[in-house]
Amino acid sequence: MTATSAGGGSGARAGRGARLRAAIAAVSGTVDRLSEVSRAKYQNPYAALSWPDSVDPGADWFFTPEITSLHGTPHQPEPDSEEFRRFAFLEASNFFSLNIHGEKALMEGLASRLYRSDLLEISDYLHHFLDEENKHSVYFGGFCRRYGTLYRSRNIPFPAEGDRSVADVLFFAKALLFEEHADAYNVHQARDERLHPLARFINQAHHADETRHLVFNRAIVQALWDTHAPEWDAATRDEVRDRIGQFFVTTWREYYNPDVYADLGLADPWQAAEDAWNAPSQRAHRRNYSDRCLRFLLSTGILQKEPADAF
Amino acid sequence: MPSDVDQVRNWVTARARDLPPGGLTDDLPLWEGRHLTSLHLPELILLLERLRRRPVDVEELTAGDFRDITTIAATFLDTDATATERTTAP
Repeated sequence: MTATSAGGGSGARAGRGARLRAAIAAVSGTVDRLSEVSRAKYQNPYAALSWPDSVDPGADWFFTPEITSLHGTPHQPEPDSEEFRRFAFLEASNFFSLNIHGEKALMEGLASRLYRSDLLEISDYLHHFLDEENKHSVYFGGFCRRYGTLYRSRNIPFPAEGDRSVADVLFFAKALLFEEHADAYNVHQARDERLHPLARFINQAHHADETRHLVFNRAIVQALWDTHAPEWDAATRDEVRDRIGQFFVTTWREYYNPDVYADLGLADPWQAAEDAWNAPSQRAHRRNYSDRCLRFLLSTGILQKEPADAF
Repeated sequence: MPSDVDQVRNWVTARARDLPPGGLTDDLPLWEGRHLTSLHLPELILLLERLRRRPVDVEELTAGDFRDITTIAATFLDTDATATERTTAP
């Protein structure tokens, strides 16, 4: 992004820095409370879970069948069949893999913001955020490497460019989207008594920490937007909104992974991914699972319309 | 049936920001000109994999591989875009 704000001199930058510090201070009570809870709920991922020697993907459910990416599409396996359970296991591997890739990018962005002068007030919590993301990846990676497949990501982390205020808003907005969607899956699956206890445990453990992250993400995104957006020109605000809308597409696309469909044995996995993406039942599912996140972004004025391409 | 390169052209035309008045050309710098961003890449890679019917080695990619339509066609579709005129309307 190029020229982003009216008046880019050192005085303007100092003014923005002061306003951001004030906005951060306004949410510091929330952040302090989240830090206290993180310390109270501190968990050792190497002791909290005993990994079974093996699992049986054809016999047990590892992913809720109704929220698999082929559910309600012509490619869906026979209900309650061994093939469907095998597919659900592949979907669990994909879900854990996309979480690993998302958390890796999140950890990089959090680490780069630790102890930045204008974000000092939240550095304590950034430590917890980083620590908890790393622990989640221990669970997800442990599952994929022991029993399943670590699927690749098609997200390419080319260097970010442009104004720091824009990069901050986009980074935390992306974190918000990624985590709110994953958490919706966690909540659903942690409660699903059909699932293997290991799958339920990982979903529950992730959700337990994510509840704090979701509160933090919303607070920091709102603070950053309220601080920076009024100073951007209209073209910059439009571009930031476009990019946040595109986050919905990139976030959701990873749930429809042709590599999973190839492992399931489908003859044309890329066409299956396209068919599933366009299936009315899947569009409705995505809109439903994005609802809370969309309502937040629309009610705060960060988005002015729904991202049509995602649903 | 549109050619593979036409499908890429159509995809880019539908998503690119601020295309010049003359529209998309095969040598238009898609990233330098900020017409596409890295957020478009996962979808573009899925399209390219579907067209060539084999995976793209994502870990080896650089931004230069997606510089313009000509480069994308040569890198991922083994096609000389200059030899394939647009056969469908965008």
